[in-house]
Amino acid sequence: MKYMLSVYANEKAEAAAMSEQDLKDLVGKHRELARDLGKALVVGHGLKDVTTATTVRTRSGKQTVHDGPFAETKEQLGGFYIVDVPDLDAAIAIAKRVPHYKDGSIEIRPLLGGE
Amino acid sequence: MTDRALERVFREASARIIGVLAARYRDLDLAEDAFADACAKAVATWADGAPPDDPAAWLYRIAERRLLDELRRRRVRSRLVPDAPLPMPDPEALMLDEARVIPDERLRLIFVCCHPAIAVEARAALTLRLVCGLSLGEIARAFLVSESALAQRLVRAKRKIAEAGIAFEVPEPEAWAERLDAVLASVEIAYAKAHEDAAGTGPHAGFASEMLALTRVLAELMPKEADVLALAALIRFAEARRPARVDAAGLMVPLSDQDPAHWSRVLIDEAERYFEAARVLGRDGVRLLHAAIHRAWCRRRSLAEPPPWADILGLYDRLLVHRDDAVIRLNRIVALAEVEGLGKALASLEALEATALADYLPYHALRADLLRRLGRAKDARDSYDRALALEPNDAERRWLDARLAEVSPGLRLVAKRS
Repeated sequence: MKYMLSVYANEKAEAAAMSEQDLKDLVGKHRELARDLGKALVVGHGLKDVTTATTVRTRSGKQTVHDGPFAETKEQLGGFYIVDVPDLDAAIAIAKRVPHYKDGSIEIRPLLGGE
Repeated sequence: MTDRALERVFREASARIIGVLAARYRDLDLAEDAFADACAKAVATWADGAPPDDPAAWLYRIAERRLLDELRRRRVRSRLVPDAPLPMPDPEALMLDEARVIPDERLRLIFVCCHPAIAVEARAALTLRLVCGLSLGEIARAFLVSESALAQRLVRAKRKIAEAGIAFEVPEPEAWAERLDAVLASVEIAYAKAHEDAAGTGPHAGFASEMLALTRVLAELMPKEADVLALAALIRFAEARRPARVDAAGLMVPLSDQDPAHWSRVLIDEAERYFEAARVLGRDGVRLLHAAIHRAWCRRRSLAEPPPWADILGLYDRLLVHRDDAVIRLNRIVALAEVEGLGKALASLEALEATALADYLPYHALRADLLRRLGRAKDARDSYDRALALEPNDAERRWLDARLAEVSPGLRLVAKRS
């Protein structure tokens, strides 16, 4: 089954607290995880910070383009993994290994038609 | 077969059959529907004749056939090309089929129902529904929610299991601790329902044996989990006393008046083994202390020995360190009355948060009892009335009626006659 693991963390707090070396270490840990996952990893990427986000909204057929993310939240989407594993427990096990600088959340959702 | 006997057959078969079908076909809803269909067919088929020798095997066969039919129908709908019909089983296969033992997949079912990815408030309800076969109404009453709210909660939980790909497996031992507490809480709630019914004649009568079996399986699978062993011990200590809990006239017998000669030695011995195994693992947890309280009673050998009130009081004091709630405080006061006197007990009772206990029958029963023994007949009568208004079961009601008669001089004769 395919799952998307969305990685959330408080970007601002992290940006303020992390040194360049911390960032390097974190990226290194992600790479390590990706290597370990091998074929179970379909695709995965980190995202540039949320200030770079642009949102296209459609309302009653009208489309508008906005600066910023679709919703303001305490923790922001900072990256994602799409994995192909036998069941939710396996996806949870991977989510528990996703590195965070300090705090963070991983939302696990099955892909539609990903069975 | 009477309706009640039928209901018991269905309830006992439910967990095993739904467990096997769900484990095999990975679809809880389908398994549950198929089992319900089989029960409906049993009602129609067994009404005029005798039920089959092994009703569970019969239900299993019909349910599996229904499930396969439904799967085939779905495949036809999605592909529009029907499969070849299943070959009719030959007589030999049918005979083998008759003898087929239903594998025990209850543990898998329990762990699925108690998966941490399922909403906390749905886990116990789902376990009680699928593993213990309780009706929606019974579960709704146990959790004090409306039936429709509960039904929605269960639908959401089952949808999550199906859509999120929750595995139908007993998890790896590393994951047990996380999932265990929800499992044990479900067992406790189910057993409490059975224990309330002292006479063992109500709709939950079958649960007690179900919970004995379930805790045995859990203890076999997790021999190093103190909480599992403590719960297995607790249920056995409590269940051992069942034969003495109601007297010949159908009145509830308070624990200290029960004749230990009537308690089940077999269950007590079993309980002692589980208790010892749990204690060796060495944690003074809530479940172990609860078991220790039951054990203190079960160590009494005859009515000539004084009741172990002082030990009980000490254990409740230790329990309060781990979990301070109104029910534990209330039970502690029962022991306090015997150790330190009625006046002190009544004062402690009156210091409790009465609003939380306003609809709790044991609160009013204890209060009435203390007042009666203190000679405050009028206040005692009021409290007995409150207790009686809270739907006691038959044995409790008779006992409360008898006590009420003692403090109501005009009623004494009537009570003796009835």
